[in-house]
Amino acid sequence: MRRVYLIVIAALMIAPFVVVLGVSFGASRNISFPPDALSAVWYTELLTEPDWLAAIGRSLLIAAIAGVIATTLALAINYVLWRTGSGFAKATFALGLGPFLLPPIILALGASLFWAEVGWYGRMEATIISHGVFFVTLPLVIIARGFAALTDEVIEAAQMIGATPAQVFRTVIFPLIAPYVCTGFALVAIISVNEYLIANMISGFVVETLPIKIFNNVRYGYSPVVASASMLFVALTVTILLILSRITDLVALFGTSKDT
Amino acid sequence: MMRTPTYGPRLIGGAAFGVMAIFFVIPLIFMIVVSFYQPDPMGFYKVDFVWENYGKFFSSFYYTVSLRSLYSSALGAVLVVALAFPLVLFVSDLGRKWQLFWIILLLSLMCLSEVIMGFAWLILMSESAGIPRLLEWVGLWDNPRSLSPSFGAMMIGLVFLGFSIVSLILYPAVARRDRSIEEAAITLGTPPAMVFYKVLLPTFRTSLISVTLTMFVYLLGVFVMPTMLGRPQDWTMTVIISDKALGDANLPLGAALAVVMLIVTVIVLIASALLTQRRTA
Repeated sequence: MRRVYLIVIAALMIAPFVVVLGVSFGASRNISFPPDALSAVWYTELLTEPDWLAAIGRSLLIAAIAGVIATTLALAINYVLWRTGSGFAKATFALGLGPFLLPPIILALGASLFWAEVGWYGRMEATIISHGVFFVTLPLVIIARGFAALTDEVIEAAQMIGATPAQVFRTVIFPLIAPYVCTGFALVAIISVNEYLIANMISGFVVETLPIKIFNNVRYGYSPVVASASMLFVALTVTILLILSRITDLVALFGTSKDT
Repeated sequence: MMRTPTYGPRLIGGAAFGVMAIFFVIPLIFMIVVSFYQPDPMGFYKVDFVWENYGKFFSSFYYTVSLRSLYSSALGAVLVVALAFPLVLFVSDLGRKWQLFWIILLLSLMCLSEVIMGFAWLILMSESAGIPRLLEWVGLWDNPRSLSPSFGAMMIGLVFLGFSIVSLILYPAVARRDRSIEEAAITLGTPPAMVFYKVLLPTFRTSLISVTLTMFVYLLGVFVMPTMLGRPQDWTMTVIISDKALGDANLPLGAALAVVMLIVTVIVLIASALLTQRRTA
């Protein structure tokens, strides 16, 4: 019974992507599955067409910088909370949970109005900053687990031999929480690469990211290039997560192990 | 722990708070301000203070759209949680290797673009590829037609979208549960179904209700699935807001609708928080 349920759900989760994979390797311009003949022509088009390449490049650039912004913010908030434990730090932490709880359309519209007023409407920097700030929640929560796992002894030992707070942070704290920071960064980068609504409302008509390009393509008659672009995404996302599972213990991070 | 606040932490804390305030809180406040402005067909808006935009919300069209959004989000949230909870229970009993497989699968789906999931389902439901064609091949459907756009297709999209998120939220609590009561019940010969209804469901009632509310709020804000898989009459408030703001360039009206949505969201979140607090206290 249990096994049947697990298999059915896994199949339903994977099935859509199997079909997309089939379509992306189909030879004909008409979308069909199973494909009549196999060909990699849509991948060639995706990776040679300047339009698609530009969209991929923009998406990756936005994701990388947004990831740095979000993890830096999350690290700063957690560090201050850990050092001082003040009400102000707690309030900042709570504020960081906010973006995850609100429907993205509200964030998107707010950001779009805000950037229009500032005069950055339609600029890539605006998308980057908004992504970085709105996606702070996941690294915030993940890095908090890293700080919770720090034991007082190592810190005290470092202080005892005369390390300044900055030295303690650089030589003791940071190496210990680095895996959590990496995980947070990777998740933000993946989410940013995949995000459509916020990017579209802030500057979608100028800064066409990959999801925006795919969406526009699907809406106004699509070719199998969309399928190959989608598969590129799936491959990228799964690869990063697999690498991540090597660096950090994902099972423990999501709370399985009894000791945490 | 070091509890000697110096300038360093204060400075860092202040800067982080400042960044969050400027780029997260101020845009929301500004949106509320704009919702009181006058729409200007030539530009963005005229500075003013009118209730007109909110007045429009109570016209029959927006009223219908909101009720429909509430209905589809509520239905979707209940379906997602009903499907995800058993899955999480089963996965938490698997070996470590398979747990990792499921976490990576769920994480991948959580991170993957709504656009791509919508596109995948669009293909899966089209007549030239996917389910209709499979049914024709098996001989169950003589004259296959595309299954989307339809209300059902949109609901499948919403459930698919929410499934991984709910599973990952429920996972830690379920994996760390105290298994002694279930084990006792099973040793005493209670059938598994009974254990589920009498032990597991009551234990997790609060988290299930709170995750359903979270999902409800989340589905309220979904944009791509309704536009890709739903018919125009299935479109939710999010689609209408985006349409007003980008399509019609009526930003004050879009802002007013978003503020109404914000209020609903905050009410649901507070209700959820109160519920969890009362339980744990």
